[in-house]
Amino acid sequence: MSQVNQVKLGARFIADEAHRVSHDRCLWAARMRRDSVAAVIPQWEEMRQLASEIKLHTLSHLADYLEMFEKNLKANGVIVHWAKDADEHNRIVADIFAKHNVKTVTKGKSMLMDECGMTPYLEKQGIAVYEADLGERIQQLDHQRPSHIVMPAIHKLRSDVARLFAEKLGSDPENDDPKYLNSVMRRDMRKNYIKVDAGMSGVNFGIAETGGIVVCTNEGNADISAALPPLYVASMGIEKLIPRQKDLALFIRLLSRSALGLNITQYTSHYHGPRPGQEMHLIIVDNGRSRRLMAEHWEVLKCIRCGACMNTCPVFRRTSGLSYDAPYMGPIGIVLEPSYDLHRYARLPYSCTHCGSCGNVCPVKVPIPKLVFYWRRKVVDERQDEPVHRAEETAMEIVLRNSTNFQLSERLGLWALRALPDALLESRLNPWATWHDNPIPPRETFRQYYNRNHKKNDTDE
Amino acid sequence: MTLMNDSRQIILDTIRRAHHGEFPLPDVPSFSVPGDAIENFLSNLESFDGKAIRLSSRQEAIKWLNENVSADGKTVFSAVADFNGNFPLSRVDDPHNAHVIDICIGEGLLGVGESGSVWVTDASLGKAACALMSTDLYLLLDKNLIVADMHEAYKRINLRADPYGSFFSGPSATADIEAVRVTGAQGEISLTVLIYG
Repeated sequence: MSQVNQVKLGARFIADEAHRVSHDRCLWAARMRRDSVAAVIPQWEEMRQLASEIKLHTLSHLADYLEMFEKNLKANGVIVHWAKDADEHNRIVADIFAKHNVKTVTKGKSMLMDECGMTPYLEKQGIAVYEADLGERIQQLDHQRPSHIVMPAIHKLRSDVARLFAEKLGSDPENDDPKYLNSVMRRDMRKNYIKVDAGMSGVNFGIAETGGIVVCTNEGNADISAALPPLYVASMGIEKLIPRQKDLALFIRLLSRSALGLNITQYTSHYHGPRPGQEMHLIIVDNGRSRRLMAEHWEVLKCIRCGACMNTCPVFRRTSGLSYDAPYMGPIGIVLEPSYDLHRYARLPYSCTHCGSCGNVCPVKVPIPKLVFYWRRKVVDERQDEPVHRAEETAMEIVLRNSTNFQLSERLGLWALRALPDALLESRLNPWATWHDNPIPPRETFRQYYNRNHKKNDTDE
Repeated sequence: MTLMNDSRQIILDTIRRAHHGEFPLPDVPSFSVPGDAIENFLSNLESFDGKAIRLSSRQEAIKWLNENVSADGKTVFSAVADFNGNFPLSRVDDPHNAHVIDICIGEGLLGVGESGSVWVTDASLGKAACALMSTDLYLLLDKNLIVADMHEAYKRINLRADPYGSFFSGPSATADIEAVRVTGAQGEISLTVLIYG
């Protein structure tokens, strides 16, 4: 597959002022709300530290906790499956559905199912899969992936949604009131709920001690998907586990405050087995996670998918999630996606200004800024960097080798600025000049100026 | 079947090969939340667009329901023993049928001050579907069952006792279009908590 060029894709979004301004405003508002709800909790920073420590502990004893989790799930009547990769995950789902003759599925949001490419797989088997989260449904109807892990359609304007719903759901194209558009969605989904054969959802937390899962949503779509049909299938990455029920208090307190600046999600739902007459399945998925756990960048697995890093990122807010062309986007995406496919996502770790804000807001202290450097080193070591970067870095290595080279380069630089034609200086060879004017060349280098005026005085003293 | 077990073994074996040092499991203290639990509950519930009505006793709460919940042409489902609806639980043996419910009355088992949440279970709602598919949801809650925070709440709840248990915090809502908050997404459109005692 070709390499994702986030800079190029992002530039299109930047050029679209209406979308960019709205996107930036919505996400920054979430970040500000996050700050104000965090500020009223005196122990907020201590909570982040504890959450990080619990995650590190769980990840370093993950096999034992997974076995405990499985044992307790089974005792609660949950049918447990293990999938080592996306293909196996999708096959397991299809097999369950074939056995139950499932034709219609409604599902809550699941980044993992998106990661596995599950919906297109099931659709090929003739199963109708309806995304039941409003944002996710908008994206499904528009044949786009989610642009944000918590607000999947946040890059769209209300007018975009009005147009889309008019075309696909027959609503009034002139009415772009979010309240009206939500009612269109509600009415349409009710038709699907009435005939739903199986419900699906992702998982926010698995609790080893009690053998249950927690799903956090605001719309109630995951709850309805689980509550109506005789079959409920959830999928969970192995890293979503926490040891004890009491740990959950900490994570629930952190999750929605970090994500949207709200004290809690509207529905914080716990599933500990099927209701009478229902079958409940949980698929525990690896898909590269165990490999990540063995690697130097293992701390990325602490992530609880709140999206706080995206809301604060100056790059993400201006370029939108679609420009990362990957299931996971923004700060967490640029340190996660290269571990799926280093070549394809080699440029993503460069979409970062090093402001460090993502690391400061992360509720579980994933060291994203540190991981950005880890991946850049990896990209260079594996020779996956852009040729122009490689050339620049090789040149810099020569320039910075000793003071003679450095002084010569200063003079060479000044000469280039004076002598070379603008056509060359502002060409594609110098991407810097796309957004910056070249400086007006001074008469001499700073060193020449300094030597002429001050060097003598310095030695006099 | 063997294939599935193979994957389980492969995953667990790979995980066991990872070593990054010792990371002890810390204790999670009960961080206290400032303010009065009930006052916090009321303001947080309101911030999630839930309505609270305070009544002096359980009898008063039921009386309020009798006076204010009109069954005229509406399908009313009640999961509480001291209030009668017109839609029996047996009708939702298949929960798909819950879509005809207009009004649902359920039992709140615990309140949480810091988030304005009410703990409910499949049993306390009759069936979860009854509450989720209704238009207006009413939950009864004894004020003595309102705790300060999530730490306290999880200490009191036995998660394994019910297949489904949830903190309901206001009616269903979404902010997926331009982050504009709209209540009444997929689940109930309104939530009223009757706090008695």
